[in-house]
Amino acid sequence: MNAVFALSNVVIKELYRRKDFYVLFILTVLITLVMASASLFNDDKIVRYLKEICLLLIWISALAMALGTASRQIPAERENRTIFPLLAKPVTRWHVVLGKFLGCWLACGLALVVFYVFLGLVSASREHTWPVLNYFQAFWLQWIFLAVVIAIVLWGSIIFAAPSSNATICLVFVLGILIVGRYLNQIALQQSEPMRSIIYGIYFIIPHLEFFDVRDLVVHDRGLVGWGACVLVTLYGAAYTLFFLFATWLSFRRKALN
Amino acid sequence: MKLPAPSLILLLLLTICFSLATYLQPQTMKWGERAQADSMMKALLGDGRRIFANHFFVKADIYFHSGYYPSIFDQGHREESHSRHMVEGHDDHDEEEHEKAMDIGQPKDWIDRFGRQFYSSSHSHLDKPGQAREILPWLKLSAELDPQRVDTYTVAAYWLRSKLGKPAEAEDFLREGLRANPNSYEILYELGLLYYENHHDLVRSVNLWELALRRWNDQDKAGKKPLEISYNEITTRLAQVEEEQGNLRQALYYRELEKKASPIPDAVQKQIDELKQRLASKTVSQSLK
Amino acid sequence: MNGILEIKDLRVEYPSRGIGEPVKLALKGLNLSVREGEVFGFLGPNGAGKTTTMNVLLGFVNATSGAAYLFGVDVKEPIARQRIGYLPELTYYYKFLTAEELLRFYARIFGIPRGETERRIDNLLKLVELEHARKRPIKTYSKGMQQRVGLAQALINNPDLLILDEPTSGLDPIGRMKVREIIQRLKNEGKTIFFSSHELGEVETVCDRVGILYQGELKVEGRVSDLIQKYQTNLEQIFLQIIGYAQPVNS
Ligand SMILES: Nc1ncnc2c1ncn2[C@@H]1O[C@H](COP(=O)(O)OP(=O)(O)OP(=O)(O)O)[C@@H](O)[C@H]1O
Ligand SMILES: [Mg+2]
Repeated sequence: MNAVFALSNVVIKELYRRKDFYVLFILTVLITLVMASASLFNDDKIVRYLKEICLLLIWISALAMALGTASRQIPAERENRTIFPLLAKPVTRWHVVLGKFLGCWLACGLALVVFYVFLGLVSASREHTWPVLNYFQAFWLQWIFLAVVIAIVLWGSIIFAAPSSNATICLVFVLGILIVGRYLNQIALQQSEPMRSIIYGIYFIIPHLEFFDVRDLVVHDRGLVGWGACVLVTLYGAAYTLFFLFATWLSFRRKALN
Repeated sequence: MKLPAPSLILLLLLTICFSLATYLQPQTMKWGERAQADSMMKALLGDGRRIFANHFFVKADIYFHSGYYPSIFDQGHREESHSRHMVEGHDDHDEEEHEKAMDIGQPKDWIDRFGRQFYSSSHSHLDKPGQAREILPWLKLSAELDPQRVDTYTVAAYWLRSKLGKPAEAEDFLREGLRANPNSYEILYELGLLYYENHHDLVRSVNLWELALRRWNDQDKAGKKPLEISYNEITTRLAQVEEEQGNLRQALYYRELEKKASPIPDAVQKQIDELKQRLASKTVSQSLK
Repeated sequence: MNGILEIKDLRVEYPSRGIGEPVKLALKGLNLSVREGEVFGFLGPNGAGKTTTMNVLLGFVNATSGAAYLFGVDVKEPIARQRIGYLPELTYYYKFLTAEELLRFYARIFGIPRGETERRIDNLLKLVELEHARKRPIKTYSKGMQQRVGLAQALINNPDLLILDEPTSGLDPIGRMKVREIIQRLKNEGKTIFFSSHELGEVETVCDRVGILYQGELKVEGRVSDLIQKYQTNLEQIFLQIIGYAQPVNS
């Protein structure tokens, strides 16, 4: 386990030494503040649109960070040849996969905390309430979502040659699920046979990432998700994360390195 | 501090750009609509802004339902005129129809059922006091993008004046809409309502409604197919006010007009009969004197 | 089998890069054995298969046939690498870390305790003369400095067997001399060193035994003194003869 933690530590260091996070955070803050300063019928209690914009920016930033860091990790190790001194130590490739995953996930988690504190401040400045539990749920589920995404991207980084094409493919995949994943069953119903079964199959196989998106509930004060459902969906995310990590390892295990 | 040469060149180029810009700016004003666009959005999006405007209008509707909204994949989904239920939603007889249009159906499988815990999946409206303010930013944005869309102004004004206690802001917004759409009977009607309900200024509201009626007729004559329901609303209001004022003859006149466009002509006929009776008894009592 | 490093009938084929292109046979049945406590110089022209051999030893490349053992353990097991130090060729270490952070990272992989780690880092940075730059990010290092960081990381776990791929490449004459000194010192401490090099003079001075690899085959192997006796000339001439560049002196 030493190796895993050591590796994740390096990933986290890399993320905060590169300036991506700061840029994304400052952009989010600026855009939100500009939106907040718009005068709307002399009403300073309007808050939901701000929460929505802020959350949208948080989702975009988090996704950009997850895709950016995770798609780079293993290709950079191979390109700079640091994978050689690393694997010459008593480190297995499973350790490498796990360490990289953990590093990306923790780093994104840290960044998410900062983003959600900002969201809390923005909404409290208008509503004067602190729905901490709601924010915690939103944060937690988004973090699990990022775990699945990072695992997918890591797998992609072994399969596809260039980090940029991998990031693009993964982005399309993730956005596709977020946007139509929920409705694939209805789309299937509108098709005729072989297509219907194929789309149904896809519907049941893909990780339903839209589960983790509770922005709607936060923006519209719809109350908390049941904790039982939270536990279940966490397990669901963990299962898919493990699946993709395992797939990453399988692809990476036999790969000749040079 | 001594500036090194490259930064001097950079500074020089910047100055050239700036002076060219100040020279060119007035010239470009002559190039037509795009250059003159007063708002940045307009310049950026061109005519595509209508699509965005519609998007934000729908967004307001989504907010009105606290995030609950059938997607284009749901069977209940139908392109309907959203503006009406957003203002009248819960006291209307087409509530049932609305429920049907907004239905996302029963969950079809376990993924569907489980997933519904993570988004707004029950039908509700913003009816707590003051909550309606949340839809306003999207309406404002929609109006920014497409000033020709009149229901943006009427919906926003409805909430501002009737639920949020901001008649002044409502009037400003309606007048802004009127400037962009001088012939809109809908805005005139809404403005009349504002004077009637918020300022209790009968004279002005009647004037506005009469103007609205004239605009409606103009459009009808021009073959622009104005909305029947608006005609109905305007004439009903006019008839009501005249009746309240005791101008029964005028009221009768508007009721007759109302009947032409009413979905329930029988009910209107009843009112007409009633009015005729009152008018008759009035003339009788007058002639008796 | 008394070797600390054993290679048996090792064949390595690289898959062909495209249709119609032949597979590349990098090693053709290599046999090699390095005994405990000796310094073994692995020589050969560019493309002879030296790096390939080391890649097999470290498990980066899978043998097509044959086997290799470190400390009697098959190289396919990660545990075989617990007691070795490896210096790869052409490596660009994590650019955003400083030298001491990099060494700390590698020390952590071996589970070396904190205090011990700091002590070793001090010693190693002194050894490779990078103390002055220890707090600078590696991206600001020159090529030679990077090579020295590489040497330091190979020594972090105080290994019993060192596998060094061209340890002196990119170093200035003083740096090269330093590396020779380090190798000598490690040898005196009883470590086994297996290294490849193109600097025949340096090989002659530090090595107990050498092997000359040519086109994937080990052409010559033996004690430096024996070889010089046998061929009646210096190592450089022997090397050139074997790869067919110079005529044998005694023929
Ligand atoms: N990934 C690869 N795919 C195909 N062929 C390869 C690959 N890596 C190396 N080779 C070939 O294998 C042979 C041996 O290469 P290797 O890198 O082991 O040589 P080397 O002895 O280390 O040379 P140098 O002294 O230049 O470092 C070369 O002919 C090389 O072209
Ligand atoms: Mg080599």
